[in-house]
Amino acid sequence: MSNILETSGLTVTFGGLNACDKVDLEVPKGQFVGLIGPNGAGKTTFIDAITGYVPTSAGSAVFDGEDIGELKPHERAQRGLVRTFQSLELFEDLSVRDNLLVAGYESRWYSFILDMLYMPRKDQKVEEQIEWALEIMGLHDVADAMPSDLSHGRRKLVGVARALAASPKLILLDEPAAGLDTAESQILGGHLREFLDHDMSVFLIDHDMGLVLSVCDYIYVLDFGKIIAQGTPQEVRESETVKKAYLGEEAGEIQAQAGERMTSLQHDQGGQDG
Amino acid sequence: MNQFIIALIAGVGTGSLYAMLGTGVVVAFRGSGVINLGHGAVAGYSAYVFNELRTSGDLWLPWFDIIPEWGFLKTLRLNNLPTRIHVFDFEMYIGKPPIVPTVLISVGVSVLIGLMMHLLVFRPLRNAPILGKVIGSVGVLLYLDSVIAVNFGGQNRSSSGFWVFSPFSDPVENFLGLGGTIPRANFYLLFAAVIMGAVVFLLYRYTKFGIATRAADENEKGASLLGYSPQMLAGVNWVFSAVLAGLAGILFLHKTQPSLYATFIVGGLGAALFGRLTSIPMTVAGGLIIGMMSGGGVQLANNDWWPNWLEIEGVRTFMPLLVIILVLYFQGDKLPIRGTLSVGRQPHAPASNNVAVGTIFAVGFALLLSNVFVSKWESVLTAAVVATLFMFSLTVLVGYLGQISLANYSIAGFAAFMMVRFVGDGTLQREADYYIINGLDMPTILGFVCAVGAGTILGLLIGLPALRIRGVQLAVVTMSSVLAIEELLTKSRSLMGDGAAAIQPTPSKPTWFGQYIGGYNKETFRTDYWKYSVLLILITALVGVAVVNLRRGNTGRRFLAIRANERAAAAAGINVKNAKMLGFGISSAIASMAGIMLAYKIPAIQAENFAIFSGLGLLAFVYLGGITTGYGAVVGGLLVAGGMMPEFLNLHFGDVEKGMINAVGAVGLIVNAIVTGGEGVALLQSNALGKEPLALLRRNPDEDDAPAADEDNATEGASV
Ligand SMILES: Nc1ncnc2c1ncn2[C@@H]1O[C@H](COP(=O)(O)OP(=O)(O)OP(=O)(O)O)[C@@H](O)[C@H]1O
Ligand SMILES: [Mg+2]
Repeated sequence: MSNILETSGLTVTFGGLNACDKVDLEVPKGQFVGLIGPNGAGKTTFIDAITGYVPTSAGSAVFDGEDIGELKPHERAQRGLVRTFQSLELFEDLSVRDNLLVAGYESRWYSFILDMLYMPRKDQKVEEQIEWALEIMGLHDVADAMPSDLSHGRRKLVGVARALAASPKLILLDEPAAGLDTAESQILGGHLREFLDHDMSVFLIDHDMGLVLSVCDYIYVLDFGKIIAQGTPQEVRESETVKKAYLGEEAGEIQAQAGERMTSLQHDQGGQDG
Repeated sequence: MNQFIIALIAGVGTGSLYAMLGTGVVVAFRGSGVINLGHGAVAGYSAYVFNELRTSGDLWLPWFDIIPEWGFLKTLRLNNLPTRIHVFDFEMYIGKPPIVPTVLISVGVSVLIGLMMHLLVFRPLRNAPILGKVIGSVGVLLYLDSVIAVNFGGQNRSSSGFWVFSPFSDPVENFLGLGGTIPRANFYLLFAAVIMGAVVFLLYRYTKFGIATRAADENEKGASLLGYSPQMLAGVNWVFSAVLAGLAGILFLHKTQPSLYATFIVGGLGAALFGRLTSIPMTVAGGLIIGMMSGGGVQLANNDWWPNWLEIEGVRTFMPLLVIILVLYFQGDKLPIRGTLSVGRQPHAPASNNVAVGTIFAVGFALLLSNVFVSKWESVLTAAVVATLFMFSLTVLVGYLGQISLANYSIAGFAAFMMVRFVGDGTLQREADYYIINGLDMPTILGFVCAVGAGTILGLLIGLPALRIRGVQLAVVTMSSVLAIEELLTKSRSLMGDGAAAIQPTPSKPTWFGQYIGGYNKETFRTDYWKYSVLLILITALVGVAVVNLRRGNTGRRFLAIRANERAAAAAGINVKNAKMLGFGISSAIASMAGIMLAYKIPAIQAENFAIFSGLGLLAFVYLGGITTGYGAVVGGLLVAGGMMPEFLNLHFGDVEKGMINAVGAVGLIVNAIVTGGEGVALLQSNALGKEPLALLRRNPDEDDAPAADEDNATEGASV
């Protein structure tokens, strides 16, 4: 078994509309896989489906050799399938570091007793992971700040760092670069592939074609809930279907050619989700 | 069978009250998105006003004279705040004043209350998080109930409503050939409820105002397009809702006591939820169904085969709760609670780092007081400390976990009664006692532990709905459980012994490790025994430290994560259900301890000690002190009625009524919800407030009508 995630025939229906339509998708272990598609294509719905946030009407999802179809969202997260949200969803009342600590530590039934006695369990591995996550997202200087005091872009980075803090086996990033300024998206783009060195695979959704084409090993293209193309970045860039559905417009073409430039071109729907 | 049907029909009377109250709740909800827990109290106030006008000719305005006249302030000769206006001169009217002006004046008072609710409470809270709005309506409830206590003495009234609505006005014999009698009033009341429902229904359906309200209910922009400001609509609906409450209050004056209206709201809320907070016909139907279920249930309970331990009165109070739970369970997330998903700004909950210093200081202060003033103060001190101990339970549940439960004080009461039962040994405790306590004859400590266990189990049961039900709906459920717990458990004779329904003697000699630790001092005949104080202070300190530590550790962080965002909490691998149950468990264990410690203090307990308004008063003061921190509970404990602060006022400025204290607490609660978002007095020292206190005052006004100021929150709602 060399796939960390494998879906077959995954279908999500919202009142007659198939937001995901028989999606077959594979994320090999240690690989960086991208998913692109126009607004409303069903990308977020796909993540929602495999993380248990919306019910699937058909198909199956296998994570790390286990069928996760019946598991609750938190159980999937505990198994190492960790997502970020397109719409942030930070813990606004907790400091940045606390946001990460919540995700980093698992709780046992007796944890609350230890906590009441103020004998917190310190786990070296978790602490290191959190430090690394703060480091790589450039958040050290604001670790004790509240998320609401940060810029929109840095708040997005907190979301990514929180997912990293959980030491995921597969991290699902839903448009992490949307809303970032140039400097912030360079921080993100420059470090994305480092994630792979920390025992994880990455699944990335983004509208920034430059970013997706430059970091992914393999890319799926979704339109109207269906996978319409897949392949290496090179293949996807040259595919006629993709051009028609997604890159057809001039702007997309130019952006695609800009390649590694990593500008953060916003689609104006930045934070709008469904 | 006939008997049963008669009983069902007899329930229509109360059902009509539920229907009318429910209609008013729906009106306020559609206008403002707030479920008003204080709606019944509005009805109660108007009913008292009506009654007072009819009996003494005086009009009492919905406040009391707060301008102090104590001590040196008396010399300032401040003018009194007008509270009472003499309207009808009895010499002119011999007997009763004319009915029409009386009704009009009473309704006028309702209009005033409606305006006050809108302008002083809910308009300023319009952008507040759910917690803030619920607290606002709890404030309304507590405030009106307290003012009723101050202005009208909260006494029962000999009825002076409309005779036709009286249950004694000549009954209908042999209705539909079923035999038995039915009060004629039931038919009139039913008629009145249906008419009221029909009028509201038609208003909403066919007037421009009604259509705009419905549009606003779905989408605030909709109303703006029709040329109405949402806030104006909300105001009109608040007034409308208050008028409906006032009318209901007057109509039912003959059937029931106005002091009960505040709690009858539970049935009204059940009815409103049955109508999904939108449909008036369904609301009226819901009210009638709940009323009939209660009537039928009571009839069944009168049978021989009915188990003794299910008290009849309990059956009556349980029906609304049952309907509420069923409706919420089956309609679940589908209920259109506007803004349920955008959590908004929650009170800041900082972890404290100087726990040791704070604890030593507080414990030292308490011990100092207890030793130095071994007289009047000791009893007052322990009252404050018991309150603080109880408030820690709310810190965990409401402050950290964000679950608004109003039932914690009932859990405290239940545990106290269970303790009495566990240690009871079948002897007369004191010579003056009327009841003996039969029980399991456990040693005091074991009884303590078992009672805490029992309280915790009850707390977990009450927490069960919280797994599916959130925010204000949870407040509704827990508020109705308060009544059901009191009638079904605490007052149950078979469960708690013969004294349960009246005054239950507490063990006269509670001993821990061979030491007498009761509050009653046999030498001074007061509740000032020092060993009790020491034990209480010790337990409270330990619990307080544990609660503060909880926040410093991962458990507290998880609780706060759930409070902030359940979706994201699950994504962070948190088992939200387990964490909520843990929170309810810890919280109810602490509440149980507080209840038991209170029972050690006083020679006898009553179910009324733990009635809904005592619990709400405690919630008000911990909220005022600061619901999210340990300090908040300490400050709150000092403020409560019977605690240090009021007692200090009493000593130096003459009598201050409990009602006044609670009313002040209610006002403080509302102001605190508006100004600090619930962070309370205790956080005044923290940076969040310290940096720029004025910014908080500036924060609220007129960022109005721009709901999507924060885009992230807006999308959060949309994406589920
Ligand atoms: N809860 C829901 N109920 C009904 N329809 C939904 C729901 N969530 C999403 N949809 C619909 O499903 C389709 C796919 O939405 P989705 O958010 O997955 O798109 P997306 O590819 O993530 O788009 P974007 O690039 O804008 O984020 C859209 O047409 C959307 O309107
Ligand atoms: Mg999306």
